[in-house]
Parts: sequence; structure tokens; C-alpha cells
Amino acid sequence: MEQTANYLGLIPLLPLTGALVIGLLHMLTCTKKPLPEKLYSVLACIGPLLSFFMALVVLFQLKNMAPEDRFLSHIPFTWFAVGELHVDMGFLADPLSSLMLVFVTFIGSLIHIYSIGYMAGEENYGKYFAYLNLFLGAMLILVLGNGPVVMFVGWEGVGLCSYLLISFYTKDTDNVLAGNKAFIVNRIGDLGFVLGMSFLFWAIGSTGFDFLSLRENAHLLTPGIGFAICLLLFVGACGKSAQIPLYVWLPDAMAGPTPVSALIHAATMVTAGVYMVARFSFIYSHFPSAGTIIAWVGILTALLAAIFGMFQKDIKKILAYSTVSQLGYMFAGVGVAAYSAGIFHVFTHAFFKALLFLGAGSVIYALHHQQNIWKMGGLKAKMPITYATMLIGALALSGCPPFSGFFSKDEILFMALANGHPGIWFIGVLVAGMTAYYTFRMMFLVFHGEARDKQAYDQAHEPPAVMTVPLIILAAGAALVGVFNLPGIFGGSMSVSNWLAPSLVEHHPHVSIWLEIMAIAASIAAVVIGITIAYKKFGHGAEEPEFTGFAKLGYHKFYVDEIYNAAIIQPYKAIGSLISRFFEPNVTDLHVKFSTWLYTKSGKAFKVFQVGYVRIYAIYMVIGLSVMSFFLSQSIN
Amino acid sequence: MFEYALSVIIFLPILTGLALLLFPLRGGVARAVGFIVSVIILFIGIELFLGFNGKSGMEYTEFHQWIPSLGVNYALGIDGISLLVMVAATFLFPMVFSIFKTRTKGFYGNLLLAQGAMLGAICSTDLILFYVFWEIMLLPIFFMIGIYGGDKRLSATLKLTIYTIAGSLLMLAAIIYVGTSYHEQFGKWSFNIADLQALSLSGGFAITAFLMFMVAFAIKIPLFPFHTWLPDGYTEAPTATTFILSAIMAKIGVYGVIRFVIPVFEVEFTRFAILFSLLGIAGMLYCGLAAIAQKDIKRLLAFSSASHMGIIALGVFCMNVQALSGCLFQIMAHATSTGVLFLFVGLMEERLGTRNIDDLGGIAYRAPIFATFFAIAMLASVGLPGTSGFIGEFLIILGAIKFNAFIGFLAGTTLIIGVCYMLWMFQRVFFEKGKERTESFADLNGMEILTFVPVILLIIGMGIFPQTFLEKIEPTAQQHVAQLTAVSASQIADTTVQNPGHTNHKN
Repeated sequence: MEQTANYLGLIPLLPLTGALVIGLLHMLTCTKKPLPEKLYSVLACIGPLLSFFMALVVLFQLKNMAPEDRFLSHIPFTWFAVGELHVDMGFLADPLSSLMLVFVTFIGSLIHIYSIGYMAGEENYGKYFAYLNLFLGAMLILVLGNGPVVMFVGWEGVGLCSYLLISFYTKDTDNVLAGNKAFIVNRIGDLGFVLGMSFLFWAIGSTGFDFLSLRENAHLLTPGIGFAICLLLFVGACGKSAQIPLYVWLPDAMAGPTPVSALIHAATMVTAGVYMVARFSFIYSHFPSAGTIIAWVGILTALLAAIFGMFQKDIKKILAYSTVSQLGYMFAGVGVAAYSAGIFHVFTHAFFKALLFLGAGSVIYALHHQQNIWKMGGLKAKMPITYATMLIGALALSGCPPFSGFFSKDEILFMALANGHPGIWFIGVLVAGMTAYYTFRMMFLVFHGEARDKQAYDQAHEPPAVMTVPLIILAAGAALVGVFNLPGIFGGSMSVSNWLAPSLVEHHPHVSIWLEIMAIAASIAAVVIGITIAYKKFGHGAEEPEFTGFAKLGYHKFYVDEIYNAAIIQPYKAIGSLISRFFEPNVTDLHVKFSTWLYTKSGKAFKVFQVGYVRIYAIYMVIGLSVMSFFLSQSIN
Repeated sequence: MFEYALSVIIFLPILTGLALLLFPLRGGVARAVGFIVSVIILFIGIELFLGFNGKSGMEYTEFHQWIPSLGVNYALGIDGISLLVMVAATFLFPMVFSIFKTRTKGFYGNLLLAQGAMLGAICSTDLILFYVFWEIMLLPIFFMIGIYGGDKRLSATLKLTIYTIAGSLLMLAAIIYVGTSYHEQFGKWSFNIADLQALSLSGGFAITAFLMFMVAFAIKIPLFPFHTWLPDGYTEAPTATTFILSAIMAKIGVYGVIRFVIPVFEVEFTRFAILFSLLGIAGMLYCGLAAIAQKDIKRLLAFSSASHMGIIALGVFCMNVQALSGCLFQIMAHATSTGVLFLFVGLMEERLGTRNIDDLGGIAYRAPIFATFFAIAMLASVGLPGTSGFIGEFLIILGAIKFNAFIGFLAGTTLIIGVCYMLWMFQRVFFEKGKERTESFADLNGMEILTFVPVILLIIGMGIFPQTFLEKIEPTAQQHVAQLTAVSASQIADTTVQNPGHTNHKN
């Protein structure tokens, strides 16, 4: 049923080649006179743009096929095969991966172009683009992988690239620590992924360890193992997609350059977990109880991150927490078995969050790396394009109709309600209100009111076209892509959900139209309330408050980082030094110490016999000879 | 064409090494001779690897009688088990000669001797012959550490020597037991590993002999808790020697278990598999945790190497084809990653005169090529997909899950432990602010780049095309595992008493 398309492998290969070429050029020249930035810019953009066009080709090729046959595969070679295990280096394009493919390459390309302006004049310009290309390549492997192991290559690859890009300004220790944190926390998740993958293999993988074969055998899973696999894989998703308890790396990851935050920590990498759960929908749909756990973890993450987001000062941190929060929604979606709703939110979120981050990047760029929103204000007049585009992004993020975020978020909440999770729905609506509040708190403080830092304000200006054009394109996307999945109530036909149907295993419940209207009304009310409160408090300029009580707790993120540090990191280090200072020299070596002790002691014991008188030695000889002759006589007899 | 190839790769370095020691030569000449010899062996090694087809058991066999009255033969051969160990021992030596220029001729002579002896141990198919090479192997190591090592070299040498000799003597006793048992059961003498497979040993003596073998190999690997010679030994040894210890000699310990212990002591092996796999895990955790507290980068790598060896050893004890193949693959992968990291540290020490992490910093800004190479080897060592380290580790973890889910989980934690100490070390050495000492750090020169590029390509190549290697070792691994499973199956049928080895054996 699947067709071959021998060009799929090229899609990740193009940016990877770009990374290799740029990386080599940079590595060989960076200590001397650096190469012109133009060269790097051109080289960097070729790969992503070509990949984007190929992604469109894939999409249209799939579109021309019958819906149930929409599978294109490309298997260049066998990666490794041992015993029953057979893993191909194979790529699979189906409706799900092609959708991801298109927006990943599209937004990736835009961010490459934006970076040309943002990074201009920076040190290590080449290195930046090498990493960016490498990241895109890894993400495309993740999306296109035809089985869990190939997916894992991209999975770890994006983890590596996020490490490299977060710690991009390596001279500052904090940045590198943030990078380390991202890599290590991701690795904790990866452990879950590897274990889940291994259990999956031993359960049903021996006849083929790729998604299509696994899908056929999914019914063979026993409940216990299947449930364990679901949860283990979800641990992996928690790491990559920053869910409780592994979300801590994402806010710190804002240490990297802002376009990186847009690319990695908003639009692409962090969505990998959601994509993975949707990929494995054929397993997750068999285990609704595992799904319920996922949904609750997701919605609680959404709530927690929204609380943190309400009290942050750093514009990037606010957006970071909003990302964590939105990811929580997505998991709530896939958790209640509304896979297409979750993926659709991934899709719309990619547009509006990339837009918001790039807009924030423009603001930071204009204010010479000022990130504190309490030092901004009144920028509306100075940066009209940035303001307008970011406003669209903010409306989309808040879930304000008719912007894209409204449709995707509402679909998730509605599905939670329809699938019998009113608790999740209620928290979701609450979080929607909070999201609207903190998003517009940020907007009002940055763009409205009076300038708080006059000097920076005077120098602020709209960035060059290479940065504003991507903003405008993304703004158009953030405003409009919602129409792709208009539900019936708005006269649409759920095109994205229908498109994804062949890749997913999901059921659409039938519920009354009144429930749907009620859900929509509640969402809209929450958004309106949120924005109103934000407007009342910050709309006309406000001074930075002293955080006390709950606000202080929220600003310090409930001290989770400090708790982790005290409960995990410090004990870890302490055990390490305990072992190397105490156990290694004193305890582990005991058996050696004991043998040397025994050796010395027996030496001392035998010393007693070595008296040095010939007459005593003569007695020894007599004793020895008698014993020998006794044994000899015994053996003769 | 390659009738005597194995003898050549064994005795060419031994004889050249002896000649270097005997004749008065300058260090530079000795290095050139050593380099040429190691390159010749490299090419023979490549030819042997390419010509190996992996289907028919032992290949490139050589057979001559040695001590007929005791059935001891000069018997050599390569099969899927020894192939990658042989590859590691032939491929990596030229690097050592090419990088370390400041040594005297005695050092280079000993290096060659070590290579020859190790290849001898790898290629022997006769237990006595193996033992002879096994012992010879220790001599050059002893001299290299004792003469050319660091400040505390003497105590380190003493500890290492006594440790290994103790192990060797235990093994000798066990070998004698195995030989006499064969004589009793079949009425003739033989130490050939193919014959010894037919032995059926049981009872307390067999267990003792098995444990004696295991201790000898555990010391070489080194398996927790027999690793205590390692931190000092690795740290005090000259870096070239550390590289050999970590990249090749440790692997011969693992290889010995697979080659000699599994076929002879199937029953005991299955019975004790859980215990030894737990030792492997304990070593991985213990050394991995110890690594984070090290201040000396070489000592950190020593612990890291021991930690990874724990995982490799685990692969042997899981008794399924995935874990065993992963273990054999990882033998090579570990040599190219952790082993090569030792070489990089040696380079750093030659340039800066220090290995103390606190004195370093900002090297990446001075030496981007060096930093990139180091990073690639480091990522391979932490098992990043796309590098050689992933395949082996993944296969071992996969196999361990089948063997015992809990052990599999513990094995998986290596993914986390490895990055913790590696990234932190990398940060402090290569990033942050440059220190006074590192201001003048020179990047790799042309010759050094040429030396390292092949191994960097090998790291990536083994990650992307592992099948080239796996397809050659997998059939032999299959046979080995089939033998073990047959034994444990018959054991279950024979005895009504379940033994601890099987209760955890899931199907």
C-alpha cells in the first residue's frame, strides 16, 4: 500500500550537508579572518528552502493519492540488523509527517532568513548557521523517520543542537549551564524513550520495527506491557516537550539567541513529544488510562506554566512559559485521544509562537539586548510593524477568535469535554484566561504607555526588512491558518483532521451542538476577562510592583529549580565526591588492603622460623626428610 | 594469500620491538620505524577485515604443533568474536606513533611489543598459547608505566602488576584444571578451544575454576570491584599507554570471557550471569558517579572508561544475540571514542603541561578544530545516535531489557550519567573564559589533523553504516548464544530445582 519516493532522504540531507559545509568553512577560518557573512547566509538558506519546496512536492504527491494509500517511503539502506531486530535507515511521509514537514521547513526557512539580520555582525556567525542547519536536519529526520529508532536519531539530534545553540554565547558560564541543563534533562527523557522502545520491540517488534508494521501488530500488546510502553514513551515526550516534572530546562533555554528560541523552543523541537504521541496513536488509543495520565500531566503543566508566566519580567521568559503552557494543552489534546486536535494546535502554535519570539527578538534587537519588560514601554510608535504583527500573535496565543490559536485550542478543550474530562476542560478554560492576561500584560507593558527607559527608547527603531518580512509572513499565518480546520459549527469541514485521519487512530464522538456552543462561549469569555484585567492594570502605564506573597512565589517559579538543585544535583555531586574521596581509597579497595595485610602478617609469622642458627636449620632439614620419607614409604606400600 | 597474515601481525611488531630495544637508535628513528610497522599492520588489518566473511567460523587459521605431548598447539584464527578486537588493535596504533614525539626508543619498542602480544592473545585459539601472550602483554605495560609514567608511577605499577599477576595465576590454575578434565573425559590432551567446547564440567571444582577465570578477566576489564588499580594506573601511565590499556587491553578481558569462558563453562556462566551483570551495572554506576568529582581530566576519563566497560561487560552476560553483538560492536566503538579522548588529553598535556580542569578553559576559542574533534569523540562516548557509541549501547540496553527488565533500566541510566560528567568537563575545559595557560594553545597542525581525521570518520561511519561491522560478527554471536540457550534449556529439563539464573529469564 505504500509507494516509494526515492527523494525523501534528501529532505533532511540538504540542511545536514549545509551544516557540514558551513561548519567546515567556519572551523577552518574562524581563528583567522572570518569569511564574509553573505557567503554563510546564502549557504545557510539553500538547504532549508530546498527542503521546503520538496516538502510541498511531497504534500501534493500525497494529495493526489487515495486517502487510505497516502504513504510514501524511502529506504536507502539497512541501518543495523541483529537477530530479530531489523532497523532500516528509512523515511516515511504520510499525512501526519507531511504536515509537520511543511510547517517545519517553512518556519525554519523564515527563521534562517530572519537570523541573517538578527545575527549580523556577531562573532561566530558561521557557527550559528551551521548549528541552525544541523538542527533543521535533525528535526526533519525526527519527522520523517519510518520507525522509532530512526526517529530517535532526530530526537537526540535536536537535543544536541539545542545544547549547542543555547550555550551559543559560551563565554558566559550561565549560558553553558543552561545548555547542559537542556541536554541532561532531555537525556532523562531519552532514557524513557529508549526503554519504551526496547519494551515495544520485545513485545511486537520482531516482525518489523517500523511504524507501519508496529501499527499492524499493535493489537498484540498485552495490557501491562502496553501501558508501561505508553508511559515510558511519554517520559521521553516530557523531556523533549517540557512537561512536569522535566519542564525546567525550557525557560533557561532562553539563554540562546532569540531566533533560536523561536525555532527550537517554540515552533519545532518542543513539539516533537506531541508528534511522537500522535505517531504512536495506534498504541495510545488502546490504552485510554495512559492517555488520561498524559492529559492530566499536560493540563497541570499548562496551569503551572501559566501561573509562572503571569509574574515574569523577562520578555523571553514570559514567552517561554507560554510555550510550556501551550505544550500542556497539546498533551491534554493527545491525552484525551484527540490526536488531530493536538497536532493542529502544534501547527497553529508554530506560527504564532515563532512570530511572537521573532517579534520579541526585534524588540530586544532595537533596545540593545534589553529583555526586562519593566524597562520598556511605548514602543508602539517606534516599531509599528513589530507591534502590529506581535498583536496578531498575541491574539492568536490568547485564543481570540478568529485568529488561528482560537480554533486549535478550542478544539482541544471541546474534545476534552466531549470525551468526558470536564475537569481538564475547566482548568483549560481557566488557563486560557490566564494566558490572555499575561500575554496582554506583556503587550501593554512593552508597546503601550510611557517609555520607562528614555534613552533606549530614543534609539529604538524598526529592524531591517530581512527581519520584518518574516514577521509579516508569520503574522499572516498566525491570523489565517485556523481556517484549515474550521469545525462544522463555523461552516468548515475539519480539513486538517480529515487529512490526518489515515495516519492516526482516533474516534470522533458525537455530541450536542449546544455543548459545543457552550464550550466556545466559555473560552471566549475567559479570553475577554483576561485581556480586560490586563488592560485595567497595565493599559495606561504601570510601575513595577514589589512582588510579595503568592506573586513572589510565582516569580521565583515556586522555587522548583532550587528544590531540584537541593534534592538532586547537590546530592549527586556529593555522592560523586564521597565515592572518589572516601569509598574508592578506603572501602572498595578493602580486598586489596586485606591481601597486603595478610601478606605482611604471614611474612612476620614466618620470620619467627628464620632464626639464623645453622643447628636450627639442620633440625628443619631432619623434620623435612622424615616427613618426605614417611610419605615415600606410604606410597611404596 | 593471507596464509600467515596473523603470524605476521603478531611477530612483526614483537621482533621489531625487540630490535628497537637492543640496537642503539635515536628516539626519532625508533618512532619512524614504529610508525612504519604499525602502518603496515594497519593495512594488513584492513585487508583481513575486508576479506573476512563471517559465515564459516574461524578464518585465516594457522596450525602447528608446539608441545605435542600436552596437546598444546600454535593455533591462530579469527572469527566474529575476535574480529573487531583485532581491528581495534591494528587500526589505532599508528595514531600513537604519529602523535607522541618526545619519547625515547625504549618506549616505542615497548609499544610495539605490546601490540604484538595483544594481537597474539586476540588471535590465539589455543588456551595455553593465549595464556602465554596474555602474560607477555603485561611486560611492556609494566615497563612503560614504571619507567615513563607520572610522579606516583611506582606504586601504580606495583598495584597493577600484582593485581594482574594474581589474576593470571588464578587463570593458570583454572587452565590446568580444564586441561586435566579434558584428559579425563576424552583420554587425550588438548587445549584447543574447539575441542574444549565438548567438555561437560560440573560440581564445585567447575564453579571454582569458572570463578578463577572470571576474576582474571574481571581484573583486566576491569569489572567492579576489581577496578581499584585502574584510577591510579590509568592516570600515572603515559597517555599512549593509557590509550592502549583502555582501548585494547580492557577489551581483551571482555573478549576472553566470550571466547574461553562461555564455551567451556556454559552451565556456570548461565548460573552466575545475573551476579556478573549486576557487577557490570554496579561498576557503571559507581565509576560514572565517581567521574563527576574528578579534578584531573585524565582521571575523569579513566573513570568514564571504566564506567563504559561496565556496560560492555553487561552485554556479555545478557545471553542474547542483540546484547552480545552490541558488546562486540561497542568494543570497537569504545576504543574509537573513549580511547581517542585519552589521546586528546595527552596532546593537551604536552601543550599545556597540565591536566587539571581548574587550570583550563576557553580552549575552543583558540583551537576550534581540536575542540570539534574532541566534541565528536565525546558525543560518541555518551552514545549519541549517528556516532559509533549509539549502536552498541542501544543493542546492549535492548538485550538487557530482555534479560531482565530491571537490569535493563539500570543499564539505561548510563545515558544520563555519561552526559553529566562529560558536559560539565567540556564546559570547564573548552568554554567559559580563557585562562592564562590556554591563551597560547595551538590548534592541531596538519599532521595531527591527518592523524585524527580517519578516526573521526570512523566514529561517524560506524554510527551510520554499522551494518558493515555487524554483519560480520552477528553469525558468530548467534552461534554462541544458541549454545548457551541450548544449555540452559536442557538444564531446566534436567533439574527440578530452579536456579536463580533462570527465574529472571523471560521469553
